[in-house]
Amino acid sequence: MTQIDIIGLTKRYGTTLALDGVTLQAREGELVSLLGPSGCGKTTTLRCIAGFMDPDGGDILADGASVTDLPPQRRDFGVVFQNYALFPHLTVFENVAYGLGVRRVPKAEQRTRVAEALAMVRLQGLEDRLPRALSGGQQQRVALARALVIRPRLLLLDEPLANLDARLREEVRWLIRDVQQRARITAFYVTHDQAEAMALSDRIAVMKAGRVAQFATPREIYQRPAEAYVARFTGEANIIPVRPRDRTAGGGFHVPFGGVVLPVSGVEGIRPGDAAMLMLRPEALSITDPGAPDAIPALVLGAAFLGAALACEVSLADGMRLRLQASPHGTVQPGMTVGLAVDTAHAWLMPDIPQ
Amino acid sequence: MKRLLPRLLLGLPAVALLTLFFVLPYVEMVAMSFRAPAFGQPFGSGHTLMHYGRALGDPLYTGALVRSLLTGALITALCLLVSFPLALHLSRLQGRWHVVFYACIVSPLLIGVLVRNFGWMVLVAVDGPFNRWAMAAGLIERPVRVLFTQGIVVMALVHVFTPFMVLPIATALRNVRPELREASASLGAGAFETFRRVTLPLSFPGVQAGVTLVFVLSVAAYVTPALLGGQGIAYMPAVVVRELIGSFAWPFGAALAVIMAASTLAVVTVFTLATHRLAERTRA
Amino acid sequence: MSRALSAAVLGVIYAFLLLPLVAVVAASLTAGELMRVPPEGLSLKWFQRFLASETFREALLLSLQVALTTVVVTVVLATLAALCHRALSRRLAASFRLAMTLPLLLPELLTAIGLLFFLNSIGLGKTLTGLQVAHVVIAFPFAFLAIVAALEQVDPAMEEASASLGAGGFETFRRVLLPLARPGMLTGGLFAFIVSFDMFTISLLLKPVGGNTLPLALFDFLTYDFDPTAAAAATLSVLFAVIGVVAIERMVGLRRAF
Repeated sequence: MTQIDIIGLTKRYGTTLALDGVTLQAREGELVSLLGPSGCGKTTTLRCIAGFMDPDGGDILADGASVTDLPPQRRDFGVVFQNYALFPHLTVFENVAYGLGVRRVPKAEQRTRVAEALAMVRLQGLEDRLPRALSGGQQQRVALARALVIRPRLLLLDEPLANLDARLREEVRWLIRDVQQRARITAFYVTHDQAEAMALSDRIAVMKAGRVAQFATPREIYQRPAEAYVARFTGEANIIPVRPRDRTAGGGFHVPFGGVVLPVSGVEGIRPGDAAMLMLRPEALSITDPGAPDAIPALVLGAAFLGAALACEVSLADGMRLRLQASPHGTVQPGMTVGLAVDTAHAWLMPDIPQ
Repeated sequence: MKRLLPRLLLGLPAVALLTLFFVLPYVEMVAMSFRAPAFGQPFGSGHTLMHYGRALGDPLYTGALVRSLLTGALITALCLLVSFPLALHLSRLQGRWHVVFYACIVSPLLIGVLVRNFGWMVLVAVDGPFNRWAMAAGLIERPVRVLFTQGIVVMALVHVFTPFMVLPIATALRNVRPELREASASLGAGAFETFRRVTLPLSFPGVQAGVTLVFVLSVAAYVTPALLGGQGIAYMPAVVVRELIGSFAWPFGAALAVIMAASTLAVVTVFTLATHRLAERTRA
Repeated sequence: MSRALSAAVLGVIYAFLLLPLVAVVAASLTAGELMRVPPEGLSLKWFQRFLASETFREALLLSLQVALTTVVVTVVLATLAALCHRALSRRLAASFRLAMTLPLLLPELLTAIGLLFFLNSIGLGKTLTGLQVAHVVIAFPFAFLAIVAALEQVDPAMEEASASLGAGGFETFRRVLLPLARPGMLTGGLFAFIVSFDMFTISLLLKPVGGNTLPLALFDFLTYDFDPTAAAAATLSVLFAVIGVVAIERMVGLRRAF
């Protein structure tokens, strides 16, 4: 059980700044996701932690001791690669035992520890197969077992589900979470899939252009994003440019929107009168009678039946388009005029930060 | 595919060329080895097994054969020793530098064997630069005669065949994904351990191709021993050529050639079988 | 420390590869009367002596004649064979490719011996035609591989696109494949030229009566003489190789050609 601290990591490729002061922390036994689009620096961060890449600045601490100058083989960090990186010439058993052989662990102990690790990832009876005779999901399990068997101080996972089909992805995702919790091992998990990050993580670091845009729990990130970039990357969101009028008694803001004034909470530091961004998740909006008090009149542009809900797109009087989810039992149809109700508990005000 | 047939016909001239002037000649060579000898002309009428009996019964010929096979094995081993660092170096390079070093390794292939051997003659001549440099450095007191020794023949052949070894190994090494080395490091292996356990075994398909090719070519190398080896040491190819164009004994020469080819093939087969498990595991 | 060591090892190996070639060129440029490396003063006089020698001049002309004929015949055959290779299924293509490159994989000496007997049996023994055919057989795989490599860069969708636009098989070949295969054909032709120009063992066993190619003449010369005329003759071969490497890198890239 190890705590990892990453302090002000920078990395430059030629003239581009790949990492621009990344600061992160993973507490003992915590799984931290690095979430962001390709090129945001998440993989570079992971590679610096693993030691495959030397950062230009900053420090990486394991339980308070710097590992930045250690080569990867002396860090004791297990890595699961996107394409698994199983040794093609070694059997499943030999792959998993690799790290033990390197450590000169006695043969008998190797056998029991490999069996334990394979049991943990629920992969038994395939010990003598070569990797190319395994399915993608099986290869993934071997990769996980191989990283775990050395009892690493930290587990690093680089988009481990990217090459699996949708059904398997779900299954292996739960397996990873289960194994990580049972082994009580600290982990960093790189992904570009917000649903994956939400489901797995204790905390998520949303990355943007080599920096950490927000580092918080999945709930916090989803409900109280620090900026519109984070809101968009963590789920569907209507982002509306607004100007808050003044503060509410409860510390929130009065925000004029669609002809009404909404009391919403938001990021600290926004000043009334400044340009800001209002986030309305689809579930913050619902359709009511156009005559209801405080209902915002809207025109239904389109509706798609999704089974559990009806995805609608509506436009307001000023032309603003919003997405929301209506009850699938309703009678909403394109061309109808409806009223919109806003659940201000699910609304959130963010500063206007350039993307 | 109705347009397929005309496409296949395009291959016909080449197939005809190689069948007629490559496959049939090999058949002819085997057939020739069973023909009766004759005086005043290359071969007589009738068939016989006597050439094989004569070749295999005479230590002059079996000695040359064994010497050729052993020298071939030595050349192959030295080639491997020289080529592995080159292939490793080449496989790690990118861009401009890759092209430059690639050219260094490939361009000797485009220069005739004779010319490359001649280069060694110039370098090791009694009054050549190697002798003068070694004397200037105080390593030797008087010039050493290197030409017409077995050493220079081996050295020149290693020089000739190195590109054939480097290219397949470099290709195999390029196919070793860099994540495998990273995975190995993350599991605690140092650079040497990673090389021994991952890089080296995974380069085997290239090593196998290179070793096979170099061995086959070096056993049958004629020019280099003829030019640099002088008259002293008899290798099988020289013996064969002497029978064919010196003594004009075609059937006997053919039998010697068939014996040389068959024993080369036997060695290659043994090598392939011996390394079967590793090859099976590392095939791409 | 280990970096410096590996750099030193590599340096020695590269020197081992290149020194003999440098030595040949350097020796040919000497102004002195003896084969000397480094040369004693620079001059081109040994090239003049080389060209003044009737033996060498005739051998050079024969070599050029055979090499150029080899280029024409080989490139035509290899282009056709490469188009055929392209039409085959993956597995068949692999076998076809192996069969087409066999002359490269078997020792030249054995092929030469087989051809010696075979050409004799069909009445082409010791003739220029026989020698010419043998050169084509040996040079063929080099040209074939280069053209196959060039055609592999052509997306099959291009042929389909051309066909969908109404072009027939020959029209597609002329307008799409041929222009795209041209660098490969040039490379293949260069290879064929160089391979033929340098061929020794085949020429030794199959040469027509009284006709020596340049490598044979050089070999004979080296057996009795050792003056820089030989270096001048050999430098020609180095020169062609250098031109070849540069041209190939420009046209298709070295890695694709080998």
